[in-house]
Amino acid sequence: MKKAIGRACALTLCLVGGAMVAPAMAADPIEALAATCNNCHGLNGVSVGASMPSIGGQSEAYLRMLMLEWKSGARYSATMGRLLKGYSDEQIAALAKYFAAKPWVPSEQRAPDQVVFNGRLVSDRCTTCHGERGGQPSDSATPRLNGQWAMYLEMELNKYRDDAVNLPHRKMRKNAQKLEQAEVYEVSNFMAVQKGQ
Amino acid sequence: MNSVNRRSFIQALAAVGSASILTVPTARASATSKARVVVVGGGFGGAAAAKYIKLMDNAIDVTLVEPNATYTACPLSNEVISGHRTLESLQTRYGGLTARGINIVQRWVTAVDPVKKVVTLTGGATLSYDALVMAPGIDFTWGSVEGYTLAASEQMPHAYKAGPQTLLLQKQVMAMKDGEVCIIAPPPKPFRCPPGPYERAAQIAHYLQHHGKGKSKILILDPNDSFSKKGLFEQAWKTLYPGMIEWIPGKDDGKVVRVNPATHTCYTTFGEHKGSVINIIPAHTAGKIARDAGLANAQGWCEVQPMTMESTMHKDIYPVGDACIAGELPVYDMPKSAHMAVTQAKVAAGAIVAKINGLPNPEPYYVNTCYSLAAPDYGFSVVHVYKVEANKFIYVKDAGGISPIKTPPITRRLEAEYANGWFNNIMADAFV
Repeated sequence: MKKAIGRACALTLCLVGGAMVAPAMAADPIEALAATCNNCHGLNGVSVGASMPSIGGQSEAYLRMLMLEWKSGARYSATMGRLLKGYSDEQIAALAKYFAAKPWVPSEQRAPDQVVFNGRLVSDRCTTCHGERGGQPSDSATPRLNGQWAMYLEMELNKYRDDAVNLPHRKMRKNAQKLEQAEVYEVSNFMAVQKGQ
Repeated sequence: MNSVNRRSFIQALAAVGSASILTVPTARASATSKARVVVVGGGFGGAAAAKYIKLMDNAIDVTLVEPNATYTACPLSNEVISGHRTLESLQTRYGGLTARGINIVQRWVTAVDPVKKVVTLTGGATLSYDALVMAPGIDFTWGSVEGYTLAASEQMPHAYKAGPQTLLLQKQVMAMKDGEVCIIAPPPKPFRCPPGPYERAAQIAHYLQHHGKGKSKILILDPNDSFSKKGLFEQAWKTLYPGMIEWIPGKDDGKVVRVNPATHTCYTTFGEHKGSVINIIPAHTAGKIARDAGLANAQGWCEVQPMTMESTMHKDIYPVGDACIAGELPVYDMPKSAHMAVTQAKVAAGAIVAKINGLPNPEPYYVNTCYSLAAPDYGFSVVHVYKVEANKFIYVKDAGGISPIKTPPITRRLEAEYANGWFNNIMADAFV
């Protein structure tokens, strides 16, 4: 009903004002909710802070699963769980859909050639599920890694590797633990500098 | 065309003398704009409001009035004092907003007429508005501590508006000799960046500890009886800087009532304390222009309507950021943080754009995340989520709260890095 009134108002304005067109962003309620994520994850989910992941263009299933696991406490988080307890499951689903519809934008990053080279050598631990360059996940619950921030990837991999906190993904733990400490850094940087899929 | 005093607007721009300010998009936007929004103040709240209005509706003419060409962010500025960051790393200019078609006018606003809906700038030029975003930040109440004047702040820096004051405090801390005392005197609540003084104590301790001055002490003389993230700070102080930081609450005669800069002395009601470095942070109110415009309550803060961030005092004026007081007082008020300011700005922007377009007001969402760094690799946070119910701000008690006290060490390391990542993103969210 509300929406219908909004549309009617907008239509009236168009007729009266001529050039006045109701802007889509102001009309769609998801925009205001999604804007609460921009503070840390960037406009359209493109982060410019190396410890904060880009989320725009990750799959809907992956984003929703993560948020619900943080909210319930099934997955450890330093900060996100406390935030998500303030969002309903419906809002979480809507946010996952919203950010999944945004384009995936690999970040501009550089790493020394040797680091990237070494990273590629050990990347077979990752590529089965995430794709050759991290951009072709094997299923919808697996994130893209190509062009994700190296620091963020390293921090996440170390979480799995150190196994000090509650993370539900057994396969990730197993593979991360097979990596040496230096390899965590190298493979994170290998994925981070990938521009293509 | 709106009732814009276009001639004096252009005169104002010409008087500034910078061609870059009167951009081509300005002229075009003015000719076809459906409404004009003026934003007073180019901090996090003002910049984000300007950006999001323009982002949501490019046909609205948006003018940001800010006297400074460069903005220096306060978050993480305590790291400048300890030498872990440069002041430049906290600075930005307004090119990002100009590129979005926002007019930047480098002036002070000297008056607001909420009835005629006109603001006056230094030099006398005027700008009319359909909606006004008021984001002046805070002003200090000089004299809230007897003897603490603007002149005294050159000897006893407040360092609570990032810039030269931050560098002055840094210089003084670096000149401390081992065994000397640094006094930090926080302001009475409410004040901007509630964990700021306590984070500062940790950052100064970190500097002293790593520069052969570990016998030095930091004494916090507090008018308040508690503080933000208290348990986390006390844990961090004890773990990282044992014996270096002492906190005296108001109830134990912690309140500094008078200072003598000449003798480096702070006087409390019953005692006196000497320090080679004295950091006095005076009491705050909303920025003067907000108070002059009749937007402030008896305590000097701007009250707002939860659904829109519109002032409770004047129609079509939207106060955002540190100048506001909002939420469930006294415990669950909205913290005066950059994150909160940006969040409030988005709510105000949504309400303004909806109103101009005759659309229903969007559901407002208020979220805050605030990180503190007790050391470069030791961070923690507080999260706030608010809902609006029956036109009241409600703090969602099931959500939010502080980082756990008992947690694996990795949590502190992660949150330290998140603080840095958050900073880059919030700067971009407001200014780019």
